[in-house]
Amino acid sequence: MSAFMNPEQAVADRSAPTAQPRQRASDIRARGEPFTWALGGALGVGCLMIIGFLLMVFWNGVGTFVPKPIAVVTTTGGEITAGEATRTELYRPTPEVVAALSEAARQTIADRDGFAERTLYRIGNFDFYSEDFRWVSAFDVIDVKYPKDIVLVERTEWGPFIGHIESIAVDGEVIALDSVHDPRFAEAHAQARARWSQIQDIERHQIGAVNYRINQQRLTLRRIELKDGRDSQAYSETKRAADAETAELQSEYERLTEQAQALRQRNAGMTVTLEELGGREKTIGIDEIVRTYPANDLSSSEKISIYLSRWWEFLSDEPREANTEGGVMPAIFGTFAMTLLMVIAVAPFGVVTALYLREYATQGRLVAFVRISVNNLAGVPSIVYGVFGLGFFAYVLGGSIDQLFYPERLPNPTFGTGGLLWSALTLALLTVPVVIVATEEALSAVPRSMREGSLACGASKWQTIKYIVLPRALPGIMTGIILAMARGAGEVAPLMLVGVVKLAPELPVDGLFPYIHLERSFMHLGFHIYDVGFQSRNSEAGKPMVFVTTLLLIGLIFVMNISAIVVRNRLKKKFVGSQF
Amino acid sequence: MLHKTTIAAVLATTLLAGPVAAIDLDPNLKDYTPTSGVDGNLKSIGSDTLNNLMTLWAEGFKAQYPNVKIEIEGKGSSTAPPALIAGTAQFGPMSRPMRGGEIDNFEQKYGYKPTVIRTAVDALAVFVHKDNPIKCLTLDQVDAIFSKTRKRGLKDDIVTWGDVGLTGEWASMPISLYGRNSASGTYGYFKEAAMAEGDYKDSVKEQPGSSAVVQAVASDKGAIGYSGVGYKTADVRTVPLTTSEGGECFDATADNAYAGDYPITRFLYVYVNKNPGRAMDPLRAEFAKYVLSKQGQEAVIKDGYYPITAEVVKGDFEALGLN
Repeated sequence: MSAFMNPEQAVADRSAPTAQPRQRASDIRARGEPFTWALGGALGVGCLMIIGFLLMVFWNGVGTFVPKPIAVVTTTGGEITAGEATRTELYRPTPEVVAALSEAARQTIADRDGFAERTLYRIGNFDFYSEDFRWVSAFDVIDVKYPKDIVLVERTEWGPFIGHIESIAVDGEVIALDSVHDPRFAEAHAQARARWSQIQDIERHQIGAVNYRINQQRLTLRRIELKDGRDSQAYSETKRAADAETAELQSEYERLTEQAQALRQRNAGMTVTLEELGGREKTIGIDEIVRTYPANDLSSSEKISIYLSRWWEFLSDEPREANTEGGVMPAIFGTFAMTLLMVIAVAPFGVVTALYLREYATQGRLVAFVRISVNNLAGVPSIVYGVFGLGFFAYVLGGSIDQLFYPERLPNPTFGTGGLLWSALTLALLTVPVVIVATEEALSAVPRSMREGSLACGASKWQTIKYIVLPRALPGIMTGIILAMARGAGEVAPLMLVGVVKLAPELPVDGLFPYIHLERSFMHLGFHIYDVGFQSRNSEAGKPMVFVTTLLLIGLIFVMNISAIVVRNRLKKKFVGSQF
Repeated sequence: MLHKTTIAAVLATTLLAGPVAAIDLDPNLKDYTPTSGVDGNLKSIGSDTLNNLMTLWAEGFKAQYPNVKIEIEGKGSSTAPPALIAGTAQFGPMSRPMRGGEIDNFEQKYGYKPTVIRTAVDALAVFVHKDNPIKCLTLDQVDAIFSKTRKRGLKDDIVTWGDVGLTGEWASMPISLYGRNSASGTYGYFKEAAMAEGDYKDSVKEQPGSSAVVQAVASDKGAIGYSGVGYKTADVRTVPLTTSEGGECFDATADNAYAGDYPITRFLYVYVNKNPGRAMDPLRAEFAKYVLSKQGQEAVIKDGYYPITAEVVKGDFEALGLN
């Protein structure tokens, strides 16, 4: 009631005799505590939501790589389902199903108001069953066992396998294993994997370099052909040189291919025969196995080592099986490189604009209009920036660059399509209002007396800005850049148009000249989340990966912000100390 | 052997639950044998239905030719023709055939028609929530559920599950509709095959991807939606379909799709820009060969679709001028 009193009444109340109840003695609006409560409450709710969200992501993300036990469930139909239990829910079975059940089971369901429980098992073995997950109703279950000898095999193809390792073959000699922990398997596996990484190294890096140089020869020749024509002397000379070089590279290529082929040949002799619980067998190469472990027979230290090795794989490997397995290294690198480039583009541009607006421009209608426009720019939907980036940067700018500098590669576009550079510039455009506004605020917070003091000592305007204003404003400017960075790293929608793709294992930085390839498409953690969560074949299997990737993206932004804050604090100390 | 100790007794009397047998490849499909001198960049722009499949092929192809760079973008079949015409993509995966207008635009620029490769078979599945007891739907009913114009001729609109014969708690439950966005080939094909080119109801919630449709259906009990069968999860089930009232119902399985019994079966295509007067460059030719090989078709199974037969491959090879 008192909240609606008018001020006069409140004053009258205050002067009234003390017989009145105490809380009516003053206007609630004048007292302030309720507002403190409301403000504190709002903060509390905000914090709770943020912490809740972070906890959810953290909990789900951290738990994903923990090795889970494998249950072998026998159901009333005599069927066996072996898999990791992923989640349990209540549901209402149809009357026909209930009617077919035993008396006891019906009673249990009736006691729960018609609800029954069911569990989703991740059964793996997609090559045998054509499904990855299966629901099992609790009333169907006869017994659940956790046999110690059952293994989970992570494969490079077809997803996980659940069953037994029947035998291995090393160079044609079949060895039947007598326990899950047989060292002979571990040894063979380590050998095969070592050869496999050797093959990867030869094929990816060494042959890659050779192919790159062959391609470079072809492009040089093509360039001269475009410039001087096929009949010119320059062309025939270059052609001769290029042919010789190419022939040499070709023999190098063949040598490397042979080397890889020999390793492959050795690995082909090393196979493993797996048997699922139904008795069906499958023989695969040992090098196709990423890791294998007896899920129900693990000590704590083994569990931890599997957990860590899965994290390491996730952080350092390339994605497999249409992004649902393997790692996200290219995406981490892409996100990081793009954000860094964006900061390099946005910081000088934003700061210079703000400096001019605040320090030099005559504060009039035009400047006010520009300022409003800048603020409005912050409200433009990000996808519109994406369209602009594609149309202007990629097609117009990039297209012209291709015409001028890369005519030998046409019709294949080099810069004339989405790529790292255009993505960074598009995001720079998207975040520049944040930097401008923050910088302007920071500049206006520098006391007028300091500027006047500097000018009075005979410093020029630029000297004043450089030595007095900017150092003071720097922490504020850095805050703006940090905000821009956080915004840019989490943005996905415009990137889908200007350079982010589902699969691009080539990093934009490598050992081949010119080392930094700004024109390349790249992978991005944000897009990876969208892709795995909403585009993958089995969304159920993708769900844990979504959480892990989200955790990683948040972590990456956190690390980048923290480092920016550390830099800011150092600058602050340095400049504040050196001033007066 | 190590495992016989614990569960051999159980195995002796029972079979492992495996309602779906593994799908077999046509034994006449050829193994892929890599050749030398293949490298360069490939870009594929097009269907979302084929997005994962293209990625799997790209991964497999890259394992053969480590230095080929392949980029894949999948935002809908309608994005494929413009990309092929502009030359920004070498492959245009589509989940529907190109329309006349799209082919004309292509022909205007290049003077010849784009070449089509049939890469996989998809039974376009109608998904419902896993607890939904619906046994079968006729195509007319599907039309009346999704379409406001009901071109297939069913007289009454269908808005609740009771309208298609469900009882109990389902009788009064409204049907909530999920579908794809209009850039999608799945959207176009479903419209043509199940709705006789009628119009979708305004209440169809258009999703940006096939997987999104399945997820939406999984979390909404009264839902129905359509998308490629490859995206099926344990939380949804496919509804068997029939062409006529009282006819036999066929579920979306490989056998029914091959036999032509499942009424909305389609090919998944990849379009390429191939000058009929010239041989294709080795990079694209090898990729096409890989897709149509045993390994490529194994990836089709891996992605949940059905592989094509050697007969179809032969036709594709002829169209591409390969041997």
